[in-house]
Amino acid sequence: MPPKPRKPPPTKKSGNRNLLIAAGAAAAVVVVLVVASLALRGGDSGGDTTTTADTGEVSTLLDGIPQDRAVLGSANAKVTMIQFEDLQCPICRDYQQEGFPGVVDEYVKPGKVKLRFVGMHFLGPDSTKALEYTLAAGEQGKLWQFADSLYANQGAENSGWVTDSLLETIAGDLGLDYAKLQTDASSPVVQQQMQSMAAEATQRQVPGTPTFYVQVGDGEPYQVHPSSFAVEQFRTILDDALAG
Amino acid sequence: MSDRALRATVALVALAGVAVAGYLTYVHYQPDALICTSGGGCETVQDSSYAELAGIPVALLGLLGYVAVLVLVAWDSELARTLSAAIALVAAGFAVYLIVLQAFVIDAWCIWCLVNDLVIVPLLAVTTVWRAWSLREVD
Repeated sequence: MPPKPRKPPPTKKSGNRNLLIAAGAAAAVVVVLVVASLALRGGDSGGDTTTTADTGEVSTLLDGIPQDRAVLGSANAKVTMIQFEDLQCPICRDYQQEGFPGVVDEYVKPGKVKLRFVGMHFLGPDSTKALEYTLAAGEQGKLWQFADSLYANQGAENSGWVTDSLLETIAGDLGLDYAKLQTDASSPVVQQQMQSMAAEATQRQVPGTPTFYVQVGDGEPYQVHPSSFAVEQFRTILDDALAG
Repeated sequence: MSDRALRATVALVALAGVAVAGYLTYVHYQPDALICTSGGGCETVQDSSYAELAGIPVALLGLLGYVAVLVLVAWDSELARTLSAAIALVAAGFAVYLIVLQAFVIDAWCIWCLVNDLVIVPLLAVTTVWRAWSLREVD
């Protein structure tokens, strides 16, 4: 039986060739990854501007709860939770969907806690427009429903997702007077609210959104740090405040 | 630098990558745990549709890449060195694409993703040198 031929040891030339092949393969993999990323990207907030506004659930949740512009809940509630939010912030949307309904159900509805919305608009032009219209909805007593609907339809940051047609659809679904909403959005009243909210955020050195503060009675508000948006987190925070 | 020191450097850089990509993978599933230096950007990038590829978090792909480099360092053959350099090259190319996305499409910056990019630069350098070292030994 003839001896089995041995593979020759690698030479510098063959090593270089292997390296070139590897580099070419790596470049091809990058191209495949980029194409796959563009074609198969995950579904999310995406940037689709929908005009089918989702306004149902929270409208029902908030039914019968008093609203005074940015404040949701009984004026006599002992504890106030202050929510610094940007309507374009995805984590604020997560809170709105995961934590907010439980907080409203367990604390706001029974009149124990009231919520105060402090809108920020540092993420860009869509934040500003969204905030103007949300505060304008407050002039018709539906700020919280309007904010919720915007979160439910949130698009990619500054993609122009806060379209007039989206705003009009939400207004229509919530039974708001759209012409008044448009007028109020650019009114001095709303602009002044935006300025005072921005000043409050600056004064408290709010690091980002969402940020939560709790105020007991007329006491000094203090920042709280829920580690998740599970209602249990807010139970601990709010029960402590109510007991204090 | 000795070959052993080079291997150790590749392993160290890959471990740093495991830490950063591991954190990014974790916060992909636990977004509340994301610590961001300035408001919004990290969340926006992590929540964007580009953060996943066919349902797999991009951060997890990065983590798998770093783990693969660690395995290849342990294996240590000419092929292992070539594959390490190729993985680092893929990572660098894809990182450039992700930077372009952050700058021009998502319009927000994720600081942890940029830290990851900073790890890829030395990874590409040391894996390439490590591979070239084996060619030098052939001389």
